Amino acid sequence: MQSDKVETMENENTTDRRIQARDAATRMLNRLTAGLAFGAIAGVGILGTVSAYTNPGTATTASGATASTSTSSGTTSTSGGTTSTGVQASPTPVSSSSGSGVAVSGGS
Amino acid sequence: MNDTILWYTTRGAGAVSLVLLSAVVVLGVLSSVRFEAPSWPRFLTTGLHRNLALTAVVFLALHIVTAVVDPFTHLGWVAAVVPFSSYYRTFWLGLGVIAIELLIAITVTSLVRDLIGHSVWRVIHWLSYASWPIAVVHGFGTGTDTWAAWMLAIDVICIGAVVVAVGARLMLRSPDPLAADRAKFRERVSRKVVK
Repeated sequence: MQSDKVETMENENTTDRRIQARDAATRMLNRLTAGLAFGAIAGVGILGTVSAYTNPGTATTASGATASTSTSSGTTSTSGGTTSTGVQASPTPVSSSSGSGVAVSGGS
Repeated sequence: MNDTILWYTTRGAGAVSLVLLSAVVVLGVLSSVRFEAPSWPRFLTTGLHRNLALTAVVFLALHIVTAVVDPFTHLGWVAAVVPFSSYYRTFWLGLGVIAIELLIAITVTSLVRDLIGHSVWRVIHWLSYASWPIAVVHGFGTGTDTWAAWMLAIDVICIGAVVVAVGARLMLRSPDPLAADRAKFRERVSRKVVK
């Protein structure tokens, strides 16, 4: 009789420990999930910034032309029946002229 | 919104998605080998695997939406849904579409696992072993930052972690103490069905 009572108390203690361990693990799961989600949000910002610095980049458009920001003046020409629809620019001027820009059209 | 911000967000979200997906695969492998430690019960692995998978889907959605709405790339929604329909880097973007669609199938079937049954869910879940490498190849093929040192470091860590985890899964025997009994039971049941 006494041994049964002792065994029951031990089982209750074991159950309590398991419940506490599970509660602690659940709290850890919630903290880890929240931390990783916020970390991922921060990661998008950080990696986006890093990518902007390491490769400000040009993106290829459907026509195959590349574009990026450039303030330099350039020369626009149309010849041989070909036309360029994209914006062609680069961090360094594509072509430079000391005078005003020249537009040439026509060709053979 | 400034379209360059959208472009950088696409690239950042893509890298973060790769990290999250790799973590999800590693946690999935850990849960399949029933990993546990005194301070790390088994359900923590499966719970984190599930939560991170849902988080990864959100960041993949961010990766796709920012790429589609970016007026400079103007990929269009069809290219984001139908594989190999993009005018731009058709093959590599097509791989990305296949990877996300496999992931959606895996996620949805996991959410309705009780309805479809364990065996169907398990078969579809094996697709994750296809989805992850397809996503990695998509990144190598079309990633703007693929050859940047920081992106290479992320790639090496992610691929290394998954290779080690899958290798351990293949090398280690199942720690399930009832694995042998279950196998015998399945064998007996299949014999009865055949007879």
